[in-house]
Amino acid sequence: MTPAGFLSRLPRWLVLLGWTVVVLLPLYALVVSCFKTTQQIYADPLGLPQNLSFDNFINAWQRADLGRNLINSLIVTGGAVIVTIVVAAMAAYPLSRYGLKWGVWMLALFLAGIMLPIRLASVELFTLMRDLELLDSHLGLISVYVAIRIPFAIFIFANFMRVLPRELEEAARLDGAGELRILFSIILPVVAPAVSIVAIFTTIAVWNDFFFPLIFIFDNNLKTVPLAITGFVGQFRTDWGMVFASLGISLAPVLAMYLLLARQIREGAAASGAVK
Amino acid sequence: MSDAANRTEPARLSRHLAALGFVLPALLIYGLFVLYPLLTSLWGSLFEWRGLRQLDFSGFDNYLRLFTFPNSEKLFGALWHNVAWFFGIMLFQNGFGLILAYLLFWSRKGASFFQSVFFFPAVLSPVIVGALWRLLLAPNGVVEWMLNGLGLHEGRLTVLGDSGWALWVLIAIDAWNWMGLPVLIFTAGLRQISYEVFEAAKLDGAGSTRMLTTVALPLLVPSISSVTTLSFINTFNQFDIVYVMQGVQGNPNFSTDTLVTYFYRLAFGAEGAVGITDIGLALALGTMLFLLLSVGTLLLLRAFDRATVQP
Repeated sequence: MTPAGFLSRLPRWLVLLGWTVVVLLPLYALVVSCFKTTQQIYADPLGLPQNLSFDNFINAWQRADLGRNLINSLIVTGGAVIVTIVVAAMAAYPLSRYGLKWGVWMLALFLAGIMLPIRLASVELFTLMRDLELLDSHLGLISVYVAIRIPFAIFIFANFMRVLPRELEEAARLDGAGELRILFSIILPVVAPAVSIVAIFTTIAVWNDFFFPLIFIFDNNLKTVPLAITGFVGQFRTDWGMVFASLGISLAPVLAMYLLLARQIREGAAASGAVK
Repeated sequence: MSDAANRTEPARLSRHLAALGFVLPALLIYGLFVLYPLLTSLWGSLFEWRGLRQLDFSGFDNYLRLFTFPNSEKLFGALWHNVAWFFGIMLFQNGFGLILAYLLFWSRKGASFFQSVFFFPAVLSPVIVGALWRLLLAPNGVVEWMLNGLGLHEGRLTVLGDSGWALWVLIAIDAWNWMGLPVLIFTAGLRQISYEVFEAAKLDGAGSTRMLTTVALPLLVPSISSVTTLSFINTFNQFDIVYVMQGVQGNPNFSTDTLVTYFYRLAFGAEGAVGITDIGLALALGTMLFLLLSVGTLLLLRAFDRATVQP
């Protein structure tokens, strides 16, 4: 590269690297603070830790019962993802491929849900959950999350299924395969990218949510990670090392997933934008 | 649907029944946990409430109360914060995001690395983001340490306790959180524009800034539309960051209160000194917000639809 070419590119790189620093510096501060005592954080917030002490992690893990919270989050997220994929794929299949007149209206009814501000219905939702005895239960949370994520999942599945060639299921029908088998053993494998988009974005949305656990979960043994962290941060606000460690622990699974799936997540977000 | 296609489908009635059977599980869950509570919430806003019990029909009483002092003060305060939040996000997040996307569009190398870094905060829970920034911005925290070190500030940093600053700090953190999304949507949009359009503009002597405003922007209307609509929906649903960083009262002195935090206090009992619920008021506020969001979204989409240039 010529010196002139380098100079003309310099401002561009400065802006890009500048924002990279703005994004990464807080996360770096979080990571190094996990290994320091509160006094050390005050004195030198950005320096590397003097020794690799895991005391903060051990304290946070024990006092916040994070193991329990992680398992709760796993149960709720896993349940919501699986049920969402199954029921949304089942609904999207006839709506996108049977060419029924009412299918168009049904699809519109589902897609409207992408924009509905469901939080504003939380009072009536609360009453409903109380009457169904679903308050303070993982099943209740899973039901709400599935209901909220169904519109986005159907949108993605219908878009992918619509363009498949008709011969795909016709051959199987002639062989006498039932519709359920056609859907799950022929159509779904072909739209695997749609399944992964739905799985990834449902996981992110459910794993991170804290609004619905906040209003539906009261038992400490049933709390998910974001709700538990909120309480923990308030309770131990002065023990910074331990609070940072609790944030570190809850961030780790998300970071691991992101490192594995960054490309799919980028492409999915660019195409759909529906992360929240 | 043509007749030829119909003949190869399963017989007519059983095809309808099969379709219905497939749609039913999703429809039941969606109807029960989304549509039903939403519709009863809208309807319930016309009733008098005591606690969680629905009493007599009261017409627009709840709405009148919502627009009367002292409730109106909270309402308009929160509304203004949401409006400021939306414009702040449009400028800081989506404006700057467009610039970042445009720079990435021209630098082929490393684009996906930068995109991945910029988007990472968006996969974090707002709880983690809020708690992290609360620690960083606290007295004795990293930000104070850096500003003091650079000589830009002296003594204790108390921006989160300052009613003039707190809202803008939260908006900046929200922009930090979601910057990656406009970057991804805009780079995807830019890549759909044919390269020859830029080549032609270059031959006409346009610099890269003029190419952005005269060539890229008009062709980016679909991307701008989705980014604006998403930001509109997300800012008017803003709750998590405020709750985690400033508490459900929108401290200090309600200066970071939003429509949804106000709704939450009314609905789940943290409003006022005694913290009792006011379901009627909450449902009226929820209905207003629902109308604001649906009408706003539709108007935005329609306006952008008209502005779309057919290439």
